[in-house]
Amino acid sequence: MTTTRRNLFKLAGGATVGVLFTPAPWRLLTDTALLSETWPGVPVPRHGEVTFQFGNCSLCPAGCAVRARSVANQPVSLAGVPAHPLSHGALCAFGIAGHHLPYHPDRLKSGPVAAADAAVRTALGQLRDTERCAVLDLRPGRTASWTYRRAMAAIHNGIYLAPLEPVPVNLAAAKTVLSLGAPLFDNWGTPGNVIAARDHFRLIQVEPVESRTAAMADLWLPIRPDSEEALVLGLANLLLADKKVAGLPAGFTDRVREFPPTVAASRSGIGEQQIAALAHELQNNGPALVLGANGSPYAAALNLILGAPGHTLVSRREAPVPDEWKKAAPVSDLASVRDGSIGVLLIDESVTGDAPPWSAIQPKLANKAVVVTFAWSKDGYGRQATYTLPTAVYPETVDDIPPAVDSPAAAFRLSAAWIAPPDGVANPADFVGALAGIAVKDALQERAAAIRKSGRGSLFVPSSATSTPARDVKPDDFWKMLQAGATWIDDVDANAAPPKLDLAFPAEAPNQVLPLVVAVTEPDAPALVSPLLSKLYQESNLHLPPQSVALHPSDARSCGLETGSHARLETGCGSIAVDVIVDPDVPPGVVEVSGGPGIRKICGASSRARVVRS
Amino acid sequence: MRISGYIPFAVGALTALAAGWAAFPHAIYQNRRQPVNFSHKVHTTTAGQKCDDCHSFRADGTFAGIPTLDKCAGCHAAPMGTTAAEKDFIDRYVTPNREPQWLAYARQPENVSFSHITHVKSGGMKCETCHGNEGETDSLRPFQQDRISGYSRDIWGRPIAHSAFRTEGGMKMDDCVNCHRSHGLTHSCLDCHK
Repeated sequence: MTTTRRNLFKLAGGATVGVLFTPAPWRLLTDTALLSETWPGVPVPRHGEVTFQFGNCSLCPAGCAVRARSVANQPVSLAGVPAHPLSHGALCAFGIAGHHLPYHPDRLKSGPVAAADAAVRTALGQLRDTERCAVLDLRPGRTASWTYRRAMAAIHNGIYLAPLEPVPVNLAAAKTVLSLGAPLFDNWGTPGNVIAARDHFRLIQVEPVESRTAAMADLWLPIRPDSEEALVLGLANLLLADKKVAGLPAGFTDRVREFPPTVAASRSGIGEQQIAALAHELQNNGPALVLGANGSPYAAALNLILGAPGHTLVSRREAPVPDEWKKAAPVSDLASVRDGSIGVLLIDESVTGDAPPWSAIQPKLANKAVVVTFAWSKDGYGRQATYTLPTAVYPETVDDIPPAVDSPAAAFRLSAAWIAPPDGVANPADFVGALAGIAVKDALQERAAAIRKSGRGSLFVPSSATSTPARDVKPDDFWKMLQAGATWIDDVDANAAPPKLDLAFPAEAPNQVLPLVVAVTEPDAPALVSPLLSKLYQESNLHLPPQSVALHPSDARSCGLETGSHARLETGCGSIAVDVIVDPDVPPGVVEVSGGPGIRKICGASSRARVVRS
Repeated sequence: MRISGYIPFAVGALTALAAGWAAFPHAIYQNRRQPVNFSHKVHTTTAGQKCDDCHSFRADGTFAGIPTLDKCAGCHAAPMGTTAAEKDFIDRYVTPNREPQWLAYARQPENVSFSHITHVKSGGMKCETCHGNEGETDSLRPFQQDRISGYSRDIWGRPIAHSAFRTEGGMKMDDCVNCHRSHGLTHSCLDCHK
């Protein structure tokens, strides 16, 4: 055999064929794939002792109890606490992946803290008598909220702004729940509590689209978009008959007379008999509860007619605070602030809550106002603020979590702080407290001591799954147990007066320019979501992609849009670029809106929109 | 074409087959020596110890894995015998209080969380089912580490061609899943993965 080019090719060919019949290439493929899992930059969980820690999730007001499995003190998985009396072991998808957030690539880790402090102090010194320093708190009721209120009482012309807290609901007492588009199974209240109470009430969901809640309801009434008001007036017409209910505004009762069931049926698209049956059920299968989206006064009026206050709508005491804290600024509503009067605005965006749109804030600002926002990312008010200061994310910092809307009693629990925050983050309460010269380092412990001193309520300890009357726990142990994930739950105040309902009906404002009703299809998410979760979410095809809207074919045609069109979604709070999906399952007159940065900001406070080709 | 025309092809194929089956398994692993020439046999027979005397569960049910020096020093504060291995262990580790850097044959990758107590207490499995007759060996075998992935050979399994036809001895995900299926057990990702 001679060494020719042909023979060399034959040798190589033979070797190639031969090697395919050995384990080598296949093993190298596997090994290379495994190597790619440990490339530099891929986070590697630590090796070490496996331990379990308890805490509470602070991503939303539900504050679900969490058990973390940690390896070498680094949380590697989170789960609920089954015996917990408030969260009943449930944990939503955001909560399960909460320990990913400190590693989120979009989180802010450093910011101009010193420069912002100097700018705020200078601006405070230059405030005119007509200008104010304001703190906007997205989640009132926390110990940090009390710090803000104390600080604003101490600062000249200080004002504390917070969204109005909804009237607490006692789901366990309800036998019939009529939901006017309230997202009961989409992170409303405390998910575990809703699930635990679910077997004991009949749920009737009134909503134009078949949302997750509608799909899980006992009865879904697909109502014509934006006609919930007509249905409520029709129901009230039947329920009131000749009865008089104290507290109902005269204007409401006058309107009720204009809505006999025939009119309500023609407006809402729900049959006359169905409305009558619904009224009968609400009246005879009580206690009943009506839940409206965004604190609807129509839902409140129906609740009043059905006698819900004191039964399914309850008064809730706040967790006690030290006496010296009570010289605090009152809670004010942003709408009550005079336009152009805020010279310094500090926004605590480090917790989720009802965030007013920037279009509602901007008119209140004075010329050259200094706006500082404390946030996890730049996606919120950071786009407009003068300074955006990074804060610790969950689970990096200890904060208390006030009770959710479905908690009939006050609660006090601390968020978990299992991971050390980066050095460059700011603590909003420390920042604001320092402006007023208030020491806030031990505020949580001081409040815990006040709660323990009150002798009210009981302490649930997750490690032993036991509840102990708070008065039987030693003061030092009370604080230690809270730090170890325990929850203090107040006694229900049996003598409390029924809650007052907000029956301020907005003025009629027919808007012909915004013809579509907004249906937000995604649950309200924290400012940051685990990158893993959002990847799965985007690739699942079960949800609208981020920054997109879905329209019925007839609406899409009238707007000159088709699937894949680039358009702008316009609401009363602003506009944003979106991609269009045409879907015959979307009811006519409705625009389904996905989640995504910015989109919720312009849709949260606005129920109507239009979509225009861009 | 004469038969001699196939000879270069055959030579190439046979060489590749020989290299792939005989040389590759040796080349892909590097042998690393354990820090101490430890005899399980002496400890289980002469000293009369059981597996869980050293490889114990903590009070909370977590598995302590390979014992730390404290555990060893409980008996070996002073040399127990006159062997060279014993003297070496005392001089290099016990006296300077230096932890031996044991190479764990069965350590799972970082993204896996294996619960020993679930398998041993609830599942009733014996240590030998996964770890073989380690307790009867007189010396520690070399730790064979994959040069590319860094995994132990015990995870892959002894056969180099670990496949659907030869699955014995491995501790890969397929092996776990196969065993669970054979016992009619259901599982989800987060049962095992961190």
